[in-house]
Amino acid sequence: MGSVAGNIGTRGLIDIHQVAKSYFSGGVETRVLFGIDLLVPHGDFLAVMGQSGSGKSTLMNILGCLDQASGGTYKLNGVDTLSLSRSELAAIRNRTIGFVFQSFNLIKRMSVAENVALPLIYAGVSRDKAYRKALLELEKVGLKDYAKRMPNQLSGGQQQRVAIARALVGDPPLILADEPTGNLDTQTSVEIMRSLQQLNAERGITILLVTHEPDIAAYSKRLVRLKDGRVLYDGPAVEGLRQLALSHEVAAGQLVS
Amino acid sequence: MNFIQVFVEAFRSMNANRLRTSLTMLGIIIGITSVVMMLAVGDSARRFISKELEVLGSNLMIISPGANRTQGVKARSGTAPSLSVEDAVALDGLSSLNGAAPALQGFFQISAGSENSNNAVLGITPAMFKVRNWKIEQGSYFSESDIRGAARMVVIGRKIAADFFYKSNPLGKFIRIDNVPFQVVGVLQGEGRMFDGGDLGDMVLIPITTARATLMRSAFPSNVHYVVVQGRNEKTLKDADQDIKEVLRDRHRIRLEQPDDFRIENLASIAETGAKISAGLSAMLGAIGAISLVVGGIGIMNIMLVSVTERTREIGIRMAIGAKPRDVLLQFLTEAVVICLVGGIIGILCAMGGAAAITSTGTLEVIIGAGAMAIACGFASFVGIFFGFYPARRASRLLPVDCLRYE
Repeated sequence: MGSVAGNIGTRGLIDIHQVAKSYFSGGVETRVLFGIDLLVPHGDFLAVMGQSGSGKSTLMNILGCLDQASGGTYKLNGVDTLSLSRSELAAIRNRTIGFVFQSFNLIKRMSVAENVALPLIYAGVSRDKAYRKALLELEKVGLKDYAKRMPNQLSGGQQQRVAIARALVGDPPLILADEPTGNLDTQTSVEIMRSLQQLNAERGITILLVTHEPDIAAYSKRLVRLKDGRVLYDGPAVEGLRQLALSHEVAAGQLVS
Repeated sequence: MNFIQVFVEAFRSMNANRLRTSLTMLGIIIGITSVVMMLAVGDSARRFISKELEVLGSNLMIISPGANRTQGVKARSGTAPSLSVEDAVALDGLSSLNGAAPALQGFFQISAGSENSNNAVLGITPAMFKVRNWKIEQGSYFSESDIRGAARMVVIGRKIAADFFYKSNPLGKFIRIDNVPFQVVGVLQGEGRMFDGGDLGDMVLIPITTARATLMRSAFPSNVHYVVVQGRNEKTLKDADQDIKEVLRDRHRIRLEQPDDFRIENLASIAETGAKISAGLSAMLGAIGAISLVVGGIGIMNIMLVSVTERTREIGIRMAIGAKPRDVLLQFLTEAVVICLVGGIIGILCAMGGAAAITSTGTLEVIIGAGAMAIACGFASFVGIFFGFYPARRASRLLPVDCLRYE
């Protein structure tokens, strides 16, 4: 996949321009995204926040090449994704993006090691090689001893760490984490967020995080807030969260008065 | 995605729903069992019939005299003294026939030493050996000059040889037929049932002239009991039938409006009947097999569709981490094919059991050949691919975003 790794250029890892998305149901068009512009350079740690219905999941799906935009352009690692076939998109997801989901999304019938190795198997790596790499990644998340267990024998936090190992096994430049701590307690959430922070700092992996919790968004460097399918704020996380807190206080104050 | 991985996953998902998988397989098992049994029974019946024909001799027809009429009552056929050695000679000259052999037949007491039994004795000419395809195991058969000389010689079947002479060499020894001594000159090869119900091993054969002179005296000295003729080949058998009728009617001076005073039996038609029965059986098994395979295939399609729906989220996960539509298609298709192949192998084993059961009854030896097994595996794979394709393609066309949202 030379073309994927190809032109990184000056425009960054993710470059979307005027991305729009609308759904049709029963002949009625529902617009979810209205011309989003976003530029994410390599090594960024970006949190996307917004209430439900703000379009953050839709944006996430488009960025993850799981869904196609209805309009605009999306260049991932220099490749225009809107013109790619489903097979080519699968290859892009396989090599460029590691997914971490809220509900872990491990395959129940497969052992932990098999789950972690699966992206490599789909990439055409031999079984032996894929398992060796999988064990290596499991070691990094501290779960090497659990390699032969089935996912349901692990705690939620452990399962999410397995999912992170699976996301990292193909050495992708980008991790998309969709509410990664949504099903975890505070203590485990902190651990997961710290490990994502560590990945960003030490391995230079770009992380794109979707969350609705300001505490979680606080681990990121940059914040994008969406509202009704439009970008409300795009800037440093600290400043964004301060504004958010302020608006909440204002709202709370209004309620009190 | 390599093939080992695909197969491992197919077996794993079959194993996860063992009861469902085995119920799904049932149709395929029944179908493949029927198909394999059909092939094996058809094949074995064909082999059985051709072996039978070998003993009978091929393209044989038997001409027997017509019935005597006494005061308008027709006696059983073969009672009229209307067939002669000369008729046989005339038929022997027909170009549509390989030969014609006359025969006299009677039941006599035969004895040697302290052994004795009642047995059919045939008076024949050397032509009979040729026409009936009889081979000599020991010694020789009588020559034309033995016939002319009405020599007291006998050729016996293997069972007779064993019963009367045990393990000693029967050649040169004497057998008494109706108290007349005959010297054994040859022993026939082979054993087995023949068209007249007799056994090749029980044969007692003497020259036709000797038979007439000593055992079967008649007011009609050239009269014979039947004539066996051999057609050139299967296709000209109809012509031969016509030729025989012409020659005999002419020789017997039968007027146009009068019926034949002889009867022609075609032995090939007996074999044909056998072949038809086995073909009918094969067709029935084939129909059962085809119906079972179609029904089984629909069952597989149904279960695969359920499986695709159940595993929608898993499909979404796989697609998210890099499974191409082709990988998903291959995964579900392989699963359907593996179910069918395992069902096929179980079906072959069932058919082997069935074949052993039929063979043990002793009526027919049923052998399941490698060809039948290969055809069965081919059928099973075809059913898997045919009925597994639609569900697999449906799975491969799902959009990852929809799958991941599926609960």
